[in-house]
Amino acid sequence: MSTLVASQPRRSVLKGRFLRAHPLWLAVPGLAFLLIFFAYPVASLLFLSVTDTETGSWSIASFARIANTDVYLRVLGITFKIAGNTALLSLLIGYPLAYWIAGLPERFRNRMLLFVMIPFWTSYLVKTFAWMIILGRSGVINNLLLGSGVAEPLPLLHNEFGVMVGMVHAMVPLAAMTMLPVMTSIDRRLVSAAQTLGSSPAHAFWLVYFKLSLPGVTAAGLLVFISSLGFFIVPAFLGGRQETMLAQLIITQVSELLNWPFAGALAAMMLVTALFACWIYDRIFGISTISGGAVVESTGRIRLIGLKVLEIVAALASRIAAAARLLFGKKITALFLPIVCWSIIAFLVVPTLLVLPMGFTSSEFLEFPPPGYSMRWFGTYFSSPLWTSATLRSFGVAFATAIVATAIGGFAALALANSRSRWSGLIFAFFLAPMIVPRIVIAVGMFYLFAQIGLVASNTGLVIGHTVLAVPFTLVAISAVLKNYDMRLDQAAATLGASRVRTLVSVTIPMIKGGLIAAFLFAFITSFDELTIAIFVSGGLKTTLPKQMWDDMILQLNPTLAAVSVVVFVLVTTLLLLAERFRRSA
Amino acid sequence: MTKKSFELTRRGLLTAAGGMAVAGIGAPALIGRAHAATQLTVADPGGPFGPAFRKAFYDPFEKATGNKIVNVAREAEPTAQFKAMVDTKSYTWDVCTLTLSARDILTKQGLLEPIDFSHADVPQLMPEAISSNWMGTDVYSTVFAYRTDRVKNPPTSWTDFFDVQKFPGRRSLRKNPIDSLEQALLADGVPLDKLYPLDIERAFKKLDAIKPHIAVWWTGGAQSTQLLQSGEVDIISGWNARFQAAIDGGTPAKIVWNQGLYSLEGWSIPKGCPRADVARQFVRFCSDAERQAIFTEILAYGPTNLDAYKTIPAARAANLPTSQENLKKMAIANEDWWSANRSAVTERFNSWLLS
Repeated sequence: MSTLVASQPRRSVLKGRFLRAHPLWLAVPGLAFLLIFFAYPVASLLFLSVTDTETGSWSIASFARIANTDVYLRVLGITFKIAGNTALLSLLIGYPLAYWIAGLPERFRNRMLLFVMIPFWTSYLVKTFAWMIILGRSGVINNLLLGSGVAEPLPLLHNEFGVMVGMVHAMVPLAAMTMLPVMTSIDRRLVSAAQTLGSSPAHAFWLVYFKLSLPGVTAAGLLVFISSLGFFIVPAFLGGRQETMLAQLIITQVSELLNWPFAGALAAMMLVTALFACWIYDRIFGISTISGGAVVESTGRIRLIGLKVLEIVAALASRIAAAARLLFGKKITALFLPIVCWSIIAFLVVPTLLVLPMGFTSSEFLEFPPPGYSMRWFGTYFSSPLWTSATLRSFGVAFATAIVATAIGGFAALALANSRSRWSGLIFAFFLAPMIVPRIVIAVGMFYLFAQIGLVASNTGLVIGHTVLAVPFTLVAISAVLKNYDMRLDQAAATLGASRVRTLVSVTIPMIKGGLIAAFLFAFITSFDELTIAIFVSGGLKTTLPKQMWDDMILQLNPTLAAVSVVVFVLVTTLLLLAERFRRSA
Repeated sequence: MTKKSFELTRRGLLTAAGGMAVAGIGAPALIGRAHAATQLTVADPGGPFGPAFRKAFYDPFEKATGNKIVNVAREAEPTAQFKAMVDTKSYTWDVCTLTLSARDILTKQGLLEPIDFSHADVPQLMPEAISSNWMGTDVYSTVFAYRTDRVKNPPTSWTDFFDVQKFPGRRSLRKNPIDSLEQALLADGVPLDKLYPLDIERAFKKLDAIKPHIAVWWTGGAQSTQLLQSGEVDIISGWNARFQAAIDGGTPAKIVWNQGLYSLEGWSIPKGCPRADVARQFVRFCSDAERQAIFTEILAYGPTNLDAYKTIPAARAANLPTSQENLKKMAIANEDWWSANRSAVTERFNSWLLS
């Protein structure tokens, strides 16, 4: 890749110059990768949806079936509603958190980020079970309530509330981490300037800071919404009879009823929903803002309405703030934000912390508090070659995935940041597509492709599959820092005689190091916690840790799961601290 | 290795070899044994099945034939993997356990290899436990269980389960039309031997009545154990071994076998598998009564070879679906009806759940 950029064959054809100099070339390896391992498998599955399996001819029977009953449209509606509410709540909770963290001195900021990262690192299978233990009828919360004299246990689980808690808990870190880069790049002196010019603090916040942070907010909203569309474990375990999401129906069709054309049709329906959301987003904000790009200042009525709304909000907030100050005094009011944020952090971290003591339980079951303590489940874990080899494989695969995905995403981000081509928007959207397509669709399509080229049950296959999923995240993370990167530094280096490669290695990469590390960690997590692709691609002997946990969870829910979580927690926290140290020292 | 189990192993070998001679595949398998040991990858349901089957089947088979068995956990419904495996000829598994419904789906699509022995070869086997391309190893049963500490008036039938006035308590059913429809009909007074073809309208009408009283619709087997064990619900339908696990772990609960529906799981070989000969030898090996008795030490599932009860202690037999006492209270779930109607009924069930 770098040789492609560096080599300068002396061809004087105009077209040749275009080929060699155009920055979009940097995105080509990534594009090729995604075309082969993402677009092709998904297209094959969608093609199936309009095929008659018996005759191989065209058929719209699957779509006719969807239209014939209202159940699929209703499930789509439920999916839409849950995903939408999750996005809204994740923003409401993630915004103050991100705002607070962005305002901290850099050293504290990174420590606080750890608190956001840790729940992100806990396998969401384990998190879901933690919520069952917290919210259940004889769960932690209800036990506390009953102990304090409440007569009836509260219905917290197996209803919409339970699903929302699980989903929002899974998504707040994603929302906060998407908003954070935008917020840290806002110059807070602008807010002070507004106040110097006579604005109230509330007006200064809403009309200056909030407005500047909007690109991050909308990008986070879209990412959370789209990621939420594909959830299936949370609604299955925390939901009631009304909370069925589309991904659950797709999985039933693929793996139980073996009706792949119909699964393809349902997948197409989900895809259209996601694309529709993207389209609306693009119309209002412009798709490139997802990486923290500047919002094109819309003119005319919409903008005026927007400003009016903000002014009303500001006026209201100003009143409320004044009332709060009157009621509680200035000092206590100033503590509101930290208190709220620490509560959010508690919400994020508690399920993880709850799992830790359960790893040391002497009981046969996952119960809290444990009736006694022992190391037996660690013994089970370490003495099982299946568990230990799965752990090692997951670390190896995640590491390789992180390197490949960061490289692909990094070059693509560089290409898009330097390009003013009209194709950029389209290419960017294509790179984000793996987030929009439900994983089960990618996984099934990929399994077919891999089987043909002998990659099933191989580590390479897993790395490829996980890289497809991780590339959107790395691209977004690196694009975000590149937006604030001064390209004139590259030009200065070039003027001083540095080659393209030299510029990249000695100037660009050190300057965007933070984004690269964030991308690497994102990709690592994506792979390390990935289940759907692992179910299909890892098969046979080469199982990953989430797959092994999943097998165990379906079949034999015992505290080995918690013991594994403890080990992973320790290893991963160590890794994160090392990454942090490396980032600071480098 | 004690002397006794060594003899068992030898006997197992002889049975297996005899069976192969009948089927006419003995020669290649024996040659295989003499020259190169074959490694079979066997997909079992995972979890407690791994160690149980290792002790009952895998280790003895390795001892007896010199071939090696590597076991992995399969998906709950491995039909998709099976199809892809055969379509693309990438055999990640040589033998895999299938439920009756999975067997029927795969048989219809021609994805299974014949096992080359029949009921006449192993007459002690339950007649339902063998077909041309599948042999049942264990029987599981859909029953209900209740918490003895919370439900004071013990329910004894599905009619009681559906009677929320006389038998108060939080209830849970499986979020699946399979079994749920049968349970509703049994509760409505349909006799166990006259269930099929299911009267769908009548079943949904009965389900309508209990719908507001179902606190949890469970989706996974381990979840049903957790629900009973944690006290999330008081009365719950599900698979017997799941509840047995909770009871063995100290949960005060009782299983009601009356009007239970049982079904089977067993081995199949993917069509065109290059190691099919050794795989068949292995399947035949697992039909042995004493081998099957051994897995019941760990798993509360019933052996399909009823001679196994000669060596199973009476206390354990009381918790197994195929013991004489329990089996006579139950009937087999009809897979033919379900394979014909599952897709449409699932759609209706999902729609019913949402309304």
